[in-house]
Amino acid sequence: MICRIFLNIRYVKLILLLAISGSVMAQGHGPLYGLQTPTLAKGGVDLNVAGMSLGTETETSYMLRYLFSYGITEDLQVNLTTPTMIERLGETPRTRGNSNMPANGDIEASLWYRFFSNAFGVGKRFESTAVVGVSAPTDNVRGQVNVGNAIHAAISTGYASRTWYAWIGGGYQYYFERDDERLGDLPYASAVVGYRPNIFMGDYPKPDWRIFIESLAEFPGGNKIDGQLDFSDTRSTKVLVGPSFLGLYGAWGISFGAMVPVVQDLTPGSVKERYRIAVNLSYWL
Amino acid sequence: MKNIKMMALIGILGIGTISGQIARVDQEVYGMDCAPCAYGLERGLKKMDGLQEVRVSLNDGKAYLGLAEKNDLTLRSIQEEVKKNGFSARKAEVVLMGNATKEDGQWYIETDNERFAVSQNTSIELVQKLAVGRTTLSGTVQDEDDDNLSDQWEIILSKIE
Repeated sequence: MICRIFLNIRYVKLILLLAISGSVMAQGHGPLYGLQTPTLAKGGVDLNVAGMSLGTETETSYMLRYLFSYGITEDLQVNLTTPTMIERLGETPRTRGNSNMPANGDIEASLWYRFFSNAFGVGKRFESTAVVGVSAPTDNVRGQVNVGNAIHAAISTGYASRTWYAWIGGGYQYYFERDDERLGDLPYASAVVGYRPNIFMGDYPKPDWRIFIESLAEFPGGNKIDGQLDFSDTRSTKVLVGPSFLGLYGAWGISFGAMVPVVQDLTPGSVKERYRIAVNLSYWL
Repeated sequence: MKNIKMMALIGILGIGTISGQIARVDQEVYGMDCAPCAYGLERGLKKMDGLQEVRVSLNDGKAYLGLAEKNDLTLRSIQEEVKKNGFSARKAEVVLMGNATKEDGQWYIETDNERFAVSQNTSIELVQKLAVGRTTLSGTVQDEDDDNLSDQWEIILSKIE
């Protein structure tokens, strides 16, 4: 029923315009865009529905994403995310989006492995998580380049407490060739700081809110077109910054936020971004 | 009147058959920072047979557990459930009903499935109150490595009923 409602394009656009989603990470516990570390409990299930929008100088994309996550163990989580593209961009800026939910139209399966965890106090822990994933595109051409399957790997480490949060991470996505063309690779890094004011320090099961300042740096490489590498020695540089908010109540979570570019040093032919917005609804079964 | 007598008899027989068990656990949980974390832990604990009351506090970092009058739950299974949710189980304040025994000068409290060695940090006055046989007592069970939990624990007694 919810999906049917969301498939109503006008309704979706309205929601998006009211400031809900971009290239989102919909893990639910943490930031919207940046890499994070928490994994589900053993046997835990997390369902997410996200709305995302990405604006360039000439176009705006709208997408819904669904994410299913399952905790194989408390440190190992499998994820599957699929998109419903409402409106694709003709000229697509290169972006990863984040660790769990690509900002483009890829279907992606990933594994999260929390290889380090040190819970050293009430509500406090340091932890590190590695991500590996594979993806298949739902579009044939992206930015006038044939788009193929991709692999993705990332690593993040962070600190969580009842008051402060911080994560840093980096990742790399590699697209395989398709019909003699290949999208450029995409190294990226993210940093997030989060804070929960005292006013939101109510104990469970009271609602729980926090705010994040997120930043994302992406360095897309040149594409290979008709067997020829474009700008093989140069990469674009994009840095985006923005706030996001996360509200949690029992088994439910909602997050929303936006990012705007503060640096766009692009190779010729690359598309400039204006903003990304995103909203994500989580439910833990 | 007949029913009342029967209920009393069942009650007496019932009490007579209660074996060593844990009655209450206030389990310290480290690393739990968000509402879904608390929700997940609460839900996991509620699935365990023998738990009558479950309350999780993020601010205290504790799970407050009331166990059924008759239960087979162990502290180990409770702490394993905490670990399964991705957190670290630390000290636990417990109320135990068990058999007190003494071996080579060391006091133990034994429930059906676990054994609690009375810590040397327990006050001398309390240790002197211990007597071999059935007892009900409160205390703090010391933290053990989450990856190497066993049915052997160390407890600092705080009260003997």
